[in-house]
Amino acid sequence: MTPLITLKGVNKHYGDYHALRDIDLEIGEGEFFSLLGPSGCGKTTLLRTIAGFESVSNGLVTIGGKDMAGVPANLRPTNMVFQSYAIFPHLSVAENVAFGLRKRSDLDTKAKQTLVEDALDMVGLDGYGKRAAHALSGGQRQRVALARALILKPKVLLLDEPLSALDKKMREQMQVELMRLQRHVGITFILVTHDQEEALVMSDRIAVMFEGRIGQLADAETLYRRPRNRQVADFIGKMNFLDVVVRSSNDPVDLEISGLGRVTISPDQVPEPVTIGKAIVGIRPETLSLLFDGETTDLRLIDGVVDEVVYYGDMTYYDVRVQGVEKPLNIAMKNVIGRPVLDVGAATRVVWDERSLVLLN
Amino acid sequence: MWRRLTATEGGQGLLMVSPPLIYALALLAVPLGAILLFSFWTQDFMAVDTTFTLNNYREIAEKPIYGALLQRSLFVAGCVTIVTVIVAFPVAYFVSFHVRPERKSLWLFLITIPFWTSYLIRVFLWKVILGYNGVINTGLINLGLIEEPLTFILYNVNAVIITLAHAFAPFAILPIFVALEKIDRSLLEASQDLGESKFMTFLRVTLPLSMPGVVAAVLIVFIPTIGDYVTPELMGGAGGKLIANMIQTQFLALNNAPLGAALAIVAMLSVSAISLVFVLLNRRWLKGRS
Repeated sequence: MTPLITLKGVNKHYGDYHALRDIDLEIGEGEFFSLLGPSGCGKTTLLRTIAGFESVSNGLVTIGGKDMAGVPANLRPTNMVFQSYAIFPHLSVAENVAFGLRKRSDLDTKAKQTLVEDALDMVGLDGYGKRAAHALSGGQRQRVALARALILKPKVLLLDEPLSALDKKMREQMQVELMRLQRHVGITFILVTHDQEEALVMSDRIAVMFEGRIGQLADAETLYRRPRNRQVADFIGKMNFLDVVVRSSNDPVDLEISGLGRVTISPDQVPEPVTIGKAIVGIRPETLSLLFDGETTDLRLIDGVVDEVVYYGDMTYYDVRVQGVEKPLNIAMKNVIGRPVLDVGAATRVVWDERSLVLLN
Repeated sequence: MWRRLTATEGGQGLLMVSPPLIYALALLAVPLGAILLFSFWTQDFMAVDTTFTLNNYREIAEKPIYGALLQRSLFVAGCVTIVTVIVAFPVAYFVSFHVRPERKSLWLFLITIPFWTSYLIRVFLWKVILGYNGVINTGLINLGLIEEPLTFILYNVNAVIITLAHAFAPFAILPIFVALEKIDRSLLEASQDLGESKFMTFLRVTLPLSMPGVVAAVLIVFIPTIGDYVTPELMGGAGGKLIANMIQTQFLALNNAPLGAALAIVAMLSVSAISLVFVLLNRRWLKGRS
């Protein structure tokens, strides 16, 4: 990976508020990178620092090897899609898209027109050029914002929660389109989002941020399967947490899980070093299952009682109380043919496997 | 009848608007009608001759003094409008963009302070500032910058323009301020992000988007200044009198109410025509902007 953007020891203070704390980051050329985190974690501030709308209190930001200190937003090789899309209401769609081309003296009006048409074509808005910008729907505005940014062929496209204003169907459609677009133009995309699913679906790598710090930087699968700490595990997807006593932290790692008993796991399931003594393990709901009548398994079994049933149509989520486990286990079951939906209070057996555990501090 | 009025929604609406409607009819439409009627009559020494005639309008068209006064009025109102809007814009811009949100209402409050004193007193104040022995002249003489008091700053058109521009400044600041407040700040960032400097962003985004406020300011200042009577009377001297002063002279000093009425109608029609042209031009130009 050739790093295109490097951040070294970046800090940002707003008065007493410490918005970014010692951010070190390298983002590669052609990468789809996401900044993920709850609101107020500093992800938008970080994006705006790269765009040049915020200066850094200390630290270094380089783009394409050039120090960006003192370089204003209009001179940076970045373009942004704003959360509100920021479509100029006094201009037509074509004029919006052509906004950044004014300084391109090497192009005549005809060439600019062709570029605008190509850009609109790329985002699926061919023929919309003459429309007034204020007459567009949310999804169309987003496309105009994309065309307006991409027409300038930036090295980096910054996307600030671009899908948050769209409804669910539209959002899913735009996710796929953004991925396709990124592959098509081949430039670096940096996406800011608070939606973990969005980040997992679209990104090559994700930085999960909490309180101005990067909690974990990894690809989607690592982030989901091997979260570094409880905070990340809790933020990404659903996770059951169980108390555990670590007997041995060598290979194999020897654990005593409250309610489930003694197991050994591989060091690969321990993302961060742990010490002998108390710790927690995480288990994803979809790695647990219930054993229905007539089904058999080679995996471990434990008795439980159904505490809560949440029916989603394709899935049913059960909370199952197991003796010795503090909180009911959250279990996701696919509603395949012949499988009944259990009632609250029903006795059941939980299938589990130590290979799906992840040991956390 | 009463029950039927209160029963339907339309009837209730009618009841609600009728007091202001009666008020408007009695105090606006009736006097306006009277003026219009008068303008077709003639003054016959002490009595008014009520035969219908266009003599007054003929006289206004034929005697150059009226046309000249009307022209001067339009010119002064135009100057006042331009000066006021040019001065008001930076003030509105400053309050909208550089004053912290929690301080904005305080600033607007401060801008309206001149209204705490009467218009007449404010005009007199400008006399004190601009006069032969006024603040400006004494100040400049004491500083040794001039030897004799400047005379071009009082009792002429300049003085009228300065005074009116000051008096109408808040009327221009407020609509421009509102228009600037409505501009989504992310649009300015988007413009910079797309490569434009702060100055070009102002020209390409802020200014066009603030045009509705500027148009409102122009109309609010232009229309009343044409008919202003007090300021030219006090500040204009002999060369700074405007159409309103002539109307007053016709009605009172010359006891020719019909001619005064005709002048008033002509002045009103000119203002309406110019304002309409302005509004229509802006409609075309500002198509789709708001």
